[in-house]
Amino acid sequence: MPVIPAEQVHAGPHPTQEQIVQTLLAGQTLLDDTPDHVIQVVDVLKSYGEVLDAYSINLIYQAEEQFLNPFPVLKYLDGDVSPAKLWRHFWHDRINFEYAEYCMKAMLWHGTGGLDEYLDSPEFASNCEAIIACKRRRDPLQGLLHPLFPQFLPELIRTAATTHALGQFWRVMSDLFIDLAEAEANGEVTSIAGVVDFIRDRLVAAAGNPITYKVRIAGQDFWVLPPEAGLTFLVDVAVPYVEAVFLRGTPFLGTVSFNAQAKQISADQSSFKYGALYADPLPSMGAGIPPSLCMQDMYRHLPERLHNWYQNCTRGEGDVRVKICQSFQKSMFCVTNAAIKGTFPHPLDSTDQAEQEANAAYANAWASRLVVARTNALG
Amino acid sequence: MLTALLLIPFLGGLLLLLLPSSVAPVRMRSVAIVFLSLQLLLSVALLIPFDPSVGTPQLVEFTPWVSRIGLDYRLAVDGLSLPLILINAALTLVSAVCTRDFDQRPRIYFSMLLLISGAVNGAFLADNLLLFVIFYELELIPLWLLIAVWGGANRGYASTKFLIFTAVSGFLILAAFFGLALVSGSVNFNITPALTENLPVATQLVLLVTLLIGFGIKIPLVPFHVWLPDAHTQASTPVSVMLAGVLLKLGTYGLLRFGLGLFQEVWPLVAPWLAIWAAISVLYGSLAAIAQSDMKRMVAFSSVGHMGYVLLAAAAATPTALLGAVFQMVSHGVISALLFLLVGTVYRKTGTRDLSVIRGLLNPERGLPLTGTLMILGVMASAGLPGMAGFISEFLVFQGSIQTFPLATLLSMVGSGLTAVYFLLLVNRAFFGRLAVTPVEDPVAHGRLDVQLAAVALRETIPAVALALSVVGLGLIPSALSRISDSATQLMAQLPGGMG
Repeated sequence: MPVIPAEQVHAGPHPTQEQIVQTLLAGQTLLDDTPDHVIQVVDVLKSYGEVLDAYSINLIYQAEEQFLNPFPVLKYLDGDVSPAKLWRHFWHDRINFEYAEYCMKAMLWHGTGGLDEYLDSPEFASNCEAIIACKRRRDPLQGLLHPLFPQFLPELIRTAATTHALGQFWRVMSDLFIDLAEAEANGEVTSIAGVVDFIRDRLVAAAGNPITYKVRIAGQDFWVLPPEAGLTFLVDVAVPYVEAVFLRGTPFLGTVSFNAQAKQISADQSSFKYGALYADPLPSMGAGIPPSLCMQDMYRHLPERLHNWYQNCTRGEGDVRVKICQSFQKSMFCVTNAAIKGTFPHPLDSTDQAEQEANAAYANAWASRLVVARTNALG
Repeated sequence: MLTALLLIPFLGGLLLLLLPSSVAPVRMRSVAIVFLSLQLLLSVALLIPFDPSVGTPQLVEFTPWVSRIGLDYRLAVDGLSLPLILINAALTLVSAVCTRDFDQRPRIYFSMLLLISGAVNGAFLADNLLLFVIFYELELIPLWLLIAVWGGANRGYASTKFLIFTAVSGFLILAAFFGLALVSGSVNFNITPALTENLPVATQLVLLVTLLIGFGIKIPLVPFHVWLPDAHTQASTPVSVMLAGVLLKLGTYGLLRFGLGLFQEVWPLVAPWLAIWAAISVLYGSLAAIAQSDMKRMVAFSSVGHMGYVLLAAAAATPTALLGAVFQMVSHGVISALLFLLVGTVYRKTGTRDLSVIRGLLNPERGLPLTGTLMILGVMASAGLPGMAGFISEFLVFQGSIQTFPLATLLSMVGSGLTAVYFLLLVNRAFFGRLAVTPVEDPVAHGRLDVQLAAVALRETIPAVALALSVVGLGLIPSALSRISDSATQLMAQLPGGMG
């Protein structure tokens, strides 16, 4: 199947797969440990944290308050339909919540991890039946829709579940990134290694957080993702998120015209390399999808220190979004680095041969995917 | 008033030469810009006394000089020369404004620029054959110096080639004029058809062919064009602007003024051959442009093609075609100046003009988006898209020539289509795609992320924006130019050599 390989539009110079494996097994950071990198990573993550806070609040609002709403035209307003808010919305003086939805759709479409398994389980189907039955009694439109298109409402509920789960995930990540900025400001984090360890520790600490979701219909609570499903933060949401958004992504909405009919896009979703780590920061005709909307949102919340730093390099304000994207990719490599570090099957200092081999295989699996990412951002 | 058009640039040039070398280069440029602005104002002011309803030369200024040999100081302007005076003034000012690297001998550089501008004014205004030749030759040495001293790495070769070709051109023109005087037994070098009235057809043909080769080198027409791509490639951007925008027009002006104007009896005899020559020039220029990988050479070859349209119009010599010839001279002057300016900007920012190396310059954040936008506008105008100067000129040339020389006109139309081909190749290669400036031999053969092109400052774009506005303005309001030139071209077409 001909696929436009990431290698073809890949920028160099970049480390080899072997070098990446060695870096990971040595417990070193993928990103070079320099003061400039610390400024970029910490500050861009701080702005990202503020954006994720807004995304998280809105996704949870959509999942809870706009649940099965057939015309959710006010879904980005978080329930505030004041004239001032409407004016800001239509003037586009607002956060691009559409980006949050793209990420949710990517997760739903790629469907990896425990959350996706549960969304296809009989337990979830029975939850849906109960919810739909309750809804149909009060909503004639849905009463008509469900018999005609029996898969329609369950799919909307799957979407809402993914939306809520992503909202919960970003709640944790938002707090993590803002805390990281505070820690750096307090002198507790001073290096890229410190950044990676900080993120890893917080991810590990949140790893077992339950992911649950219930909706209230006519005064009655219904579980969509019940506690009994056993869904947890790291394995069931964070890892699928990284897989869908950082690595695979989607070739659509991008800046290269891939032709699906010409089979330029693989039928095998697992081979996709269109995610944020592969995205070309230049906003025209590069392969991959720069998270442009997210970059716009981060620009609104850019810390003064990083803004000043950008002013003094390349074209200053003229190419600030490219620089935000480059910094963002550096920071995402740090997050990925932390996730890999926190999920090695065995301690890195293990002397057991079998455990070392398992760690090496794990590192190699990651390196094979990262080697064609935008690793030139690491230097 | 016409004399002032010579005095201003010449005095400006002299003043610059007399300035102490301690004066900062930027000050010298300012002095040049002041004189060139005055020249432009005066050129525009010519429109006030100029009567567009009169086709014959007007505002005559006459002073006997060396009348014994037929050399008199006689200046005049008509609808053929006035537009060229205007673009000379405008483009010399643009050249001075867009001169960036002037640390090396700025006094001489700017004085040469002013000297060329004054000499070109003199050639366009001269109403005496010998006076024309004097001014025609006067611009050669300064231009040779501008290429030889301020040119690129291979400037010695290019400037020598330029000098040899254009000196031969000047010699042939002078020989034709002296031959005319010799065989007519007259020492009157005033520009009048009476000079050739009683000459045998064979003699007229010999003189006309000599003149055509002389001007054919300057225009340049195939196969005498070989000096032009090298001269452009090695010349700095401001010199290329002058060369393409103004100096080539001396050749086409001479073709119309002296070829068609003086040899009216034999002009219809050579016209069919000239039409074929024009079509060959158009097609060769276009095909050669397609084969180029250097942006500047591509634009240079496009000049070879586009000057062929003027020859086609001159051959047809209908009122519409001749008006089209004037339009083509003006529109090519402005469009090619714009294209050379933009190519110069690309070269200054990227360090290369190689189309196999440059990609994606239209990138909005890290590329040269305004330069790219103007380049797209420029190539659209050059390809003759409606609404821009190139369309009007090509339309008039083709409409005026199709009845007289249908095959040559159709072939030239094909050349016009080829213009779109090579300029789309240029735009597609250099401006679309992912931003990259990576030498082919670089081991990192794919696009690099660390492309760091300096942004084009707004003030750097002012000359190009002004030219782009002129291109659109002339396309939307062609009557501004046709009002000036219509009577002169009508009169020229009604002469015995014309088809009007």
